[in-house]
Amino acid sequence: MHIKSMLHRLGVAVVAGTMLTAAPALADDEAEHFIQAVLDEAEPYLDAPDQETQFDGIRQLVDKYVDMRRVGLFTLGKYARRITPEQKQVYLPLFKEYATGIYQDSLSTYAGEKLNVTTSIDRSTRDIIVNSEIIDAEPGSQLATMVVHWRVYRTRDGDLTIVDVGADGIWLAIEQLEQFTSVIANNGGPPAGVDALIADLKEQVTE
Amino acid sequence: MTIKIWTLAAFLTLTVGAAHAQISDADDAAAFAEGLKNDGAADEGATNQDPWEGFNRKMFAVNNAIDSAALVPAAKAYRATTHKKQRKGLRNLLANARTPVILINDLLQGEFKRASETASRFAVNTTIGFGGMGDPAERMGIPQHSEDFGQTLAVWGAPPGPYLFMPLMGPSTIRGGVGSIGDIAMDPAVWIRTDAAKYTRYSRAGAAGLALREPLIEPLQDIEDNSLDYYASLRSFYMQSRKREIANGRTNFDDLPDIGDFEEFDELE
Repeated sequence: MHIKSMLHRLGVAVVAGTMLTAAPALADDEAEHFIQAVLDEAEPYLDAPDQETQFDGIRQLVDKYVDMRRVGLFTLGKYARRITPEQKQVYLPLFKEYATGIYQDSLSTYAGEKLNVTTSIDRSTRDIIVNSEIIDAEPGSQLATMVVHWRVYRTRDGDLTIVDVGADGIWLAIEQLEQFTSVIANNGGPPAGVDALIADLKEQVTE
Repeated sequence: MTIKIWTLAAFLTLTVGAAHAQISDADDAAAFAEGLKNDGAADEGATNQDPWEGFNRKMFAVNNAIDSAALVPAAKAYRATTHKKQRKGLRNLLANARTPVILINDLLQGEFKRASETASRFAVNTTIGFGGMGDPAERMGIPQHSEDFGQTLAVWGAPPGPYLFMPLMGPSTIRGGVGSIGDIAMDPAVWIRTDAAKYTRYSRAGAAGLALREPLIEPLQDIEDNSLDYYASLRSFYMQSRKREIANGRTNFDDLPDIGDFEEFDELE
């Protein structure tokens, strides 16, 4: 009896311990379905033989699903609170144009491929990472082992949007944040630095 | 279709070395995360890691001048005069020649299973792979992995130190730089003191430079064209890919800048 109760206690302790230490980040089915639907919608565009159709399709999807305003402010880092309303009015549309171009460039890498959602990890209930992989990629090719991550943001109203995309641990908005803050800092900080950033973006977009 | 930014990202991850070594504790990843989380000032992560930015940017300019004047034209000529399969063969050959260094580092890190894989690869590829031109070991299911002394130092607990950009060496950290010197010393070919060995070393270094630069012609051009700050952009790609490498190829999502940053923007109308 004594031993049995010891064992029982041990069992409880082990279970409790596992729950405490493992505490696995939970998957988020809704976010997974959301990204899978976006990927399914992207498939015909990625299958298109010409780049124009691919780019048009990616632009439509970006317009529909990526919260560019949020990403645009995020990429300003600590300067997001120091940008003037006038600057913001110019900056946000420019950023959207610039970032859409990067999305087009990056996502068309997967032209002719089919991406499928594999897993998800919720960093919080509003901040979810969804992973996807290329199915039937040519064995041994770089794409075969590549994981494409989607950072999904759940708004207060419960709507899902995309705020970043990455491949093998390298994220686009984070890279943009480091570039933008570097430009602002190296041009004397706000407000002049923000003007310099806006000028650079203008140049990039019109090129 | 042009080669895209992420191809470079993946390439960086590969060349920088897909370290599967067990890394103990507070390391780059943690330091990087610390920087990123720094009182919501996400960009300070980069600056904390790069206290020598002024020096690094000068070296970066020197590098780019050499690169566009000599390396890119050479890499283009190399591409024009060789077949894809020949270039693959040379990459294999150079990788095989690096095997002793990988083996020593596997052993120094106590990674005995990986060490035996490295030794088997060397044996197979040097014999039935025609001295390393082919990679039959890969098809036999003995995968290639990279390892270097910088990684070994990381395993031993050495801190990364500041970001460092050196002409021709590319992005690194102090630890990576010290590691490169260690790797040179570990190369058996360095210790053979004959003229023939000397020429072999120089030719190998030259060939390695070309073989490494050639597949990067488009991705690097792509990044330069698409970035507002080429230096900051490359630094970010390097730091992000290295963070993953330190985590042994696993992607750690805990270190990302907080989405709370996004959330606050709800009020920023």
